[in-house]
Amino acid sequence: MPIATPANPALLDVCEVSKSFGSVAVLRSVSLQVTRGEVVTVIGPSGSGKTTLLRCVNFLESYDSGSIRIDGREVGYRETGTRQRRSERDLAKMRAETGMVFQSFNLFPHLTAAGNIMLGLLKVRGKSSTEARAIAEHWLGRVGLAHKADSLPAELSGGQQQRVGIARAVAMEPKILLLDEITSALDPELVGEVLEVVRSLAEDGMTMVMVTHEMAFARDASSRIVFMADGGVSAAGPPAEILGAEIDNERLRSFLARFRASHF
Amino acid sequence: MLGQIAYALPFLAQGFAVTLWVSLLVVVLSLVAGVMMGVGLVYGPAPLRWAVRIFSDTIRGIPILVLIFFVYYGLPAVGLHLESFWAAVLALTLFKTAQVIEYLRGAVGSIPKGQSEAAMAIGLTFRQRLAYVIFPQAFRRFLPPWINGVTDAVKGSALVSLLGITDLMHAINQVIGRTYEAMPLYILGAVIYFAVNYALSLASRRLERRFSFIRE
Repeated sequence: MPIATPANPALLDVCEVSKSFGSVAVLRSVSLQVTRGEVVTVIGPSGSGKTTLLRCVNFLESYDSGSIRIDGREVGYRETGTRQRRSERDLAKMRAETGMVFQSFNLFPHLTAAGNIMLGLLKVRGKSSTEARAIAEHWLGRVGLAHKADSLPAELSGGQQQRVGIARAVAMEPKILLLDEITSALDPELVGEVLEVVRSLAEDGMTMVMVTHEMAFARDASSRIVFMADGGVSAAGPPAEILGAEIDNERLRSFLARFRASHF
Repeated sequence: MLGQIAYALPFLAQGFAVTLWVSLLVVVLSLVAGVMMGVGLVYGPAPLRWAVRIFSDTIRGIPILVLIFFVYYGLPAVGLHLESFWAAVLALTLFKTAQVIEYLRGAVGSIPKGQSEAAMAIGLTFRQRLAYVIFPQAFRRFLPPWINGVTDAVKGSALVSLLGITDLMHAINQVIGRTYEAMPLYILGAVIYFAVNYALSLASRRLERRFSFIRE
């Protein structure tokens, strides 16, 4: 398992991050390091803080304490003086460095598949419309939807929409890609086509943090699995270790046992 | 009867121009102010949200006629003397602004939160998110009530005649004062108001159809 070293520093460095919604602590001093090219899967029961952690990484959620750094830069807060939220402009810049794919796709319904991908390229990356269109077509090709460039989201199946969602995120050339239960809203027969895209991105060396309930996929595609429970990291390690039979972690064992019982 | 109408038309034309001018001013000013305050109501910090909420609820709770008299006869007491024309425009604009705030809140509020988040995730700033993601989708929901509001503004502008401004309504009354022929002139007035508003609703329906491709 790749460990961050001076020669290979962590691309994503989550350090003792805590967050509460009112009196409910959703993240308790979570630390996690991800190096370039790693695919880290976060599993755990619902309410364990997986999705919140992911949303803190691109600052869709603020966090109360600790720090999250991408490529050495603090994500949501200014690095000088007192802890102060970054300006709207700075936050937007930081967010453009991370890609995110959502459970409910969240494609822009008024734009075509290509238009969805082009928006960020035009307005954030400052590409010309010819360039943006070419990039959009390239990525639509990569996710197998070259022929759907001019279709509106409402004309696409769930699996196709999610593949556009992935293309929209990676076209921005993010340093890290966050995948938030991206197959949970899909009909079972459409899950495969989406995971196939993720697998090919992983093979290309895209750094990813993925929250998922697809254990088989997590086992095959991840370099590391992190098990979260009650807002904290309860276990972390290579898939064979975490999903193996000898794991010495009662909560993980009961999670996996319940999971297997409900999925097979 | 046609003779009466022919005689009245030049007078009415001037009044009609004033009606259109008042309506246009009110519609444009209230659109700008209402959209800005509506955005404040949906996205602003708590103090701003409260201020807009209080403004909107207060204004909408006051009859428009009371508002017009309040601005014209009441505000001089605190040192604000407005010509009758601008007092009327201000009062109607305040009234309309409160409505636009609510249309905007409704239209923007109907856009799922995930749209903003997806727009944030690709690095769009707040203004860009509004301009390229939220407003284009909210527009279709904003338009029908807003056009309704525009026709209300045209009709409501007749109230400015009560401050002695010679709009279409006032011009009609003046002609009647000279000819004592009320019925044909009120019918003519009704037809003119109707023609303007019917044209507006036709335009609205056309626009709505153009944006109907947006499905959620």
